[in-house]
Amino acid sequence: MHRQLRPRTDPVSFALSAIGVVALLSPSVPLRAQAVPVTTATASLIALPDAPLPTMSQTGERSQQSQPRQTLPKPTDQNPQPSAPPSMSDLGFPDSQTKPDPDLQARLDRHTRMLRIHQRLGLITLAPLAGACITSAFAPPNFKKGEDNATGRNIHVAFGAASVTMYAFTASYAIRAPKVSEAPDRGGIKLHKYLIYVHAPGMILTPILGAMAYDQANNGEKVHGAASAHAAVAWTTVAAYSAAIVAVTWPIHVGSLKF
Amino acid sequence: MNGTPLLALLLLAFPAVAQTASPDQSWILDQSTLTYHMSHPIHEVDGVSRAARGKGTCHAGECDFLVAVPVKSFDSGDSNRDLHMIQTTRGAEFPVVSVRFHLPQSSLTATTLDCDLEVQFAGNTAHYSHVTFHQVVEGTSHHITGTVPSTLTDFRIQPPTFLTVPIKNEIPVRVDMTWHPS
Repeated sequence: MHRQLRPRTDPVSFALSAIGVVALLSPSVPLRAQAVPVTTATASLIALPDAPLPTMSQTGERSQQSQPRQTLPKPTDQNPQPSAPPSMSDLGFPDSQTKPDPDLQARLDRHTRMLRIHQRLGLITLAPLAGACITSAFAPPNFKKGEDNATGRNIHVAFGAASVTMYAFTASYAIRAPKVSEAPDRGGIKLHKYLIYVHAPGMILTPILGAMAYDQANNGEKVHGAASAHAAVAWTTVAAYSAAIVAVTWPIHVGSLKF
Repeated sequence: MNGTPLLALLLLAFPAVAQTASPDQSWILDQSTLTYHMSHPIHEVDGVSRAARGKGTCHAGECDFLVAVPVKSFDSGDSNRDLHMIQTTRGAEFPVVSVRFHLPQSSLTATTLDCDLEVQFAGNTAHYSHVTFHQVVEGTSHHITGTVPSTLTDFRIQPPTFLTVPIKNEIPVRVDMTWHPS
């Protein structure tokens, strides 16, 4: 036996459909929220925080370090649930530790860039310094053999001048690098900076004394007076300069050996 | 018909039993020492931070944990190196390293914890699967140790150079933490 299927008319569905049709055909009236004056809406927009910058949120949606996102009130903050996954705000870090600082990052970048040049120039300066040290043996006149050694002296002067010039360039990058921390220096950099008080005056005194010694030697005189301290000052300067390089390298590990 | 009251009793009792086994719970990171290790042909450096903060919440048998530490809190014993580290890792733009992981509440007393970590650092996110931590439970104190096998490339960090030689890519982070239920 087959039952004949007939569509049943549900009175409730029919009533709801009728209400829907009436509502659709009714004249459109602005809703209450739409009737708010434009000035009020604009003022609300102005009060909103700026959108996060694209460069500040490379981690995407879940970055907690994007400052504008943190300032927005979250529904969970208003009604905290003990079972909600923990968020950065739950950890109670002070703003000073979590607030992004693009200006500081820019200064750090510049600081590092300049100190990297300082480091490279400092290492390059070792070459003319070594040249000046080696040629110093041929700079003074040999009175016993009656040799003037003018050529050796001029080569030594050239290496010395190159050393001082390179040293000045090297120092300028460290001096001009922006200061990024007020904290006291710790570690090898502390000794590196203390040694400035030795090699910086040395780099000024050495060429002055060298010029005096050069004049005396060219006049056929034995180097005397303050000029006779040229070699001692120069060697002290070279020693302090080398120590300053080693200071920022210390401690040195080579394989399992530690120096 | 006789089974209906028994079934109703079971349905009522089961959620209660489940809730007793895994109640909602919060965890607080009490003490921590995080140490990164950096290798260079002539340098071996450890940077230590004890400034990490952490929280965990458990609900319906599942726990979510968050540990965060300021980048600038790591101390390698050399202020110049620490500044360079902050610059290289863009620590001023992204001042906090955060680690999220998820554990079943039933595993919180196990001697070995197998964690899938999501680490946000230097503006990038890296995932480390099945990182093993060892746990010693003493009273309410949970002492956890392990190493996160992080690398520079995981976070797209340019390896810094010293005397023009770059440091090694591997920067493992040793973790030593003590958690307490709050």
